[in-house]
Amino acid sequence: MVAAKTRTDNARGLMAHLLRRGGFGATPDELDRAMDKGYDATLEDLLHPGAPDVLPDDMIRRYHVDQSEMRGAAAAGAYWVYRMVMTDSPLREKMCLFWHRVFATASTKLIQARVVANQLDMFREYGMGSLRDLLVQLSRDPAMIMWLDNQDNHKDSINENYGREILELFTMGVGNYTEDDIKECARAFTGWRIVNPEYMSIKMRNNTARPYGYMSWQFEYDDDDHDHGQKTLLGETGDFNGEDAVDIICKQEATARFIARHLYHFFVADEEPVPQWPHTPPRDPEAIDTMAEAYFDSGYSIGEMLRIMFTSDFFKSEASRFARTKSPVEMIVGTMRLAGGLGVPSADTYAAAIACGTMGQGLLAPPSVEGWQGGSEWINTGTYVQRVNFVGLTLDDPAKPGVRAIIDRIARAAGDSTLSPEALVDSCLDALGPMEVLDSTRSSLVKYAEKYGGLSFSDGHATSEADEAIVAIIQLIVSTQEYQLV
Amino acid sequence: MTSTTLSMKYVTTVGFCADMGGRGFCLPTAMTLRRDGRIFVASRSNTTALDIIGIQMVTRDHEFFGQIGAYGREPGQMVWPSALAVDAEDNLYLADDLLNRITVYDREGDLVSTWGTRGAGDGEFDGPSGLVFDGEDNLIMVDHKNHRVQKFTKDGTFLSKWGSFGDGEGQFNLPWGIAQDSEGDLYVADWRNDRIQKLTSDGEFIAAYGTSGSGDGEFNRPSDVAVDSQGNIYVADWGNQRVQVLDSEGVFLQKLRGEATLNPWAVEYLTSAADENAARSTYVPVFDVDTDDPSEVSARIEPYFWDPVTVALDNEDRLYVLETCRHRFQIYERADNGK
Repeated sequence: MVAAKTRTDNARGLMAHLLRRGGFGATPDELDRAMDKGYDATLEDLLHPGAPDVLPDDMIRRYHVDQSEMRGAAAAGAYWVYRMVMTDSPLREKMCLFWHRVFATASTKLIQARVVANQLDMFREYGMGSLRDLLVQLSRDPAMIMWLDNQDNHKDSINENYGREILELFTMGVGNYTEDDIKECARAFTGWRIVNPEYMSIKMRNNTARPYGYMSWQFEYDDDDHDHGQKTLLGETGDFNGEDAVDIICKQEATARFIARHLYHFFVADEEPVPQWPHTPPRDPEAIDTMAEAYFDSGYSIGEMLRIMFTSDFFKSEASRFARTKSPVEMIVGTMRLAGGLGVPSADTYAAAIACGTMGQGLLAPPSVEGWQGGSEWINTGTYVQRVNFVGLTLDDPAKPGVRAIIDRIARAAGDSTLSPEALVDSCLDALGPMEVLDSTRSSLVKYAEKYGGLSFSDGHATSEADEAIVAIIQLIVSTQEYQLV
Repeated sequence: MTSTTLSMKYVTTVGFCADMGGRGFCLPTAMTLRRDGRIFVASRSNTTALDIIGIQMVTRDHEFFGQIGAYGREPGQMVWPSALAVDAEDNLYLADDLLNRITVYDREGDLVSTWGTRGAGDGEFDGPSGLVFDGEDNLIMVDHKNHRVQKFTKDGTFLSKWGSFGDGEGQFNLPWGIAQDSEGDLYVADWRNDRIQKLTSDGEFIAAYGTSGSGDGEFNRPSDVAVDSQGNIYVADWGNQRVQVLDSEGVFLQKLRGEATLNPWAVEYLTSAADENAARSTYVPVFDVDTDDPSEVSARIEPYFWDPVTVALDNEDRLYVLETCRHRFQIYERADNGK
């Protein structure tokens, strides 16, 4: 969107870049701790999140009963926003978002968000492991089965939807397989269905929670309905079942390159929209080669692809910083984490989930099986206003712990001195990133800050006037086009 | 008073998912019974189905008498209904967890009064979540975010209070439901301490039953409690998605997982939806699940309790179990005829 002017310390700027891309950004204090730990150790923490997040699920379910039922996308979206804001394992949640975009499954067709939320749990467990394991789980996932009609894929009458999309949208991309491969792949997945397929399908089709609500779905393999005949898929022949098809798909060079390009698109720099990929070379072919090599060297490990990516020059380079447009979820969750103070689940998470939708990224409700295109498409006149309003409101209160911490940090650094408008702006930019802005943007910010004159501090403490000034500058900064970049 | 042979058997299911309005409930969170058999159920619902927020009136014979109240903050309305109780004159009392308000309706469902102030002082409350009338027709309220119980006159005059935050005897951690036995002793579902506490009517600690866990006699966030005429204790073991029955000494007797069947409202609906009715003929409601998360198990198995939030008993010791996420309640009775 803009050519950013660099003014930050390189090591700190690089660490902030890692935490923005591998997570949802960092508060100044979190950035200090990461700097103490070092880049490689911080990356290892991101890649190995350990035990699942402990959320107060009992409290959530007691006070927000619709999140216990988890039927509507509003409830499930609020729950996910809360998890993303509270998590100590931001890359795990980022990878959930990544797979939610690639394997886009929408509750709108399924008529219940719970099964999509269960799919997200599966992404949390498998999202940074082996692609083979992930694809087997995806093929067994009840939401995916119903989303792409595999309950209608029978040995005597195949339904090609899942066979087509696992090749076209999930692993290899158009141009790397034939129509016959699609049919043969579909045959391999015959009999992969959910328990009680007829009644569950009718309830979904009729969109009815009557008489006693929806039932969550469970995978079931029906060997009697599986086509045990010989199949030829991507040049190999045998009595393939679904796992065999996944094995064959994972061997393909096209799969490695397709997943690598998706990861690059999501974490490094905005690519062309996915439908253009068969016709447009990658933005950085060498980066794709490097990640594809890591995929094969590691036995299809997504985590290793991420490690190679985050330690590469193409990721660390100055050119890749602030080179992507923040998605609505990155914008909203990152700002809520910066503001702090969410504590127990509240109505704020519902408002945030709704805001994701109005900005174009409704959680658990991607617009189609192709997910969101992202990039510059996130921003238009309407969504820009939504963005500015949301982040401005989120950071409007000096009593919020994250805002307070920024103010106190600036005050501590000032000691007994007086901060000039220039120094005030630079302090705020540093606390919000550190952010890099165009000279013209900085000049405008300084001009605004001049209305406060020199800002006095007493023994490292902020006055109410300083509170007001710093909050006002922060709100102005988050309305700039630079804050829309990540 | 101990009844070691007690056995409860399933009778019927009352309710229907009324997310589109009409006969039934939507995410119900509170229930109470009137002496004449009328049953009041409060639906919490969600932000996309506000019309059904209110107090629905039914009987155990599947009669439906409409709704009292509506969503909103005006007198007589509600946002987060959390508890119901009926006084000796058949007035209906509603607690609203979010509005910190008690609303009183008369026998016909007309608004009588509202009272309540949020706070931690005497007579103020923060999150009223359990209500019961004592033998003197005073209202005993679980004031859950203040981790205490308060006693009021029927018109809201503060009388006394007991309890504080903690896990010691007589202390609470976000308590929820409350009941009183025939001798006047109180039982509180000490929700985040995973136990039931028994107190005198003046709040003196008598006993605590249960520890954290999913074994017999263990609890996971118990939300409500009821006591029958013989002193047996029925616990809505909410987090474990079951009801446990204890004897009057707190010894485990039986656990119930739920076994709901289609009731007349459900049958009537399915009769009018031929495709669903036909598909239902191949439907196997109970199957082996591949998860050990009790909530997800309940979400998959329609007959099981899903968020059993309230337990209540009628004057013949029939047990009523209200389930938030299945929009219904199941009724059990003594298989041993109470002997």
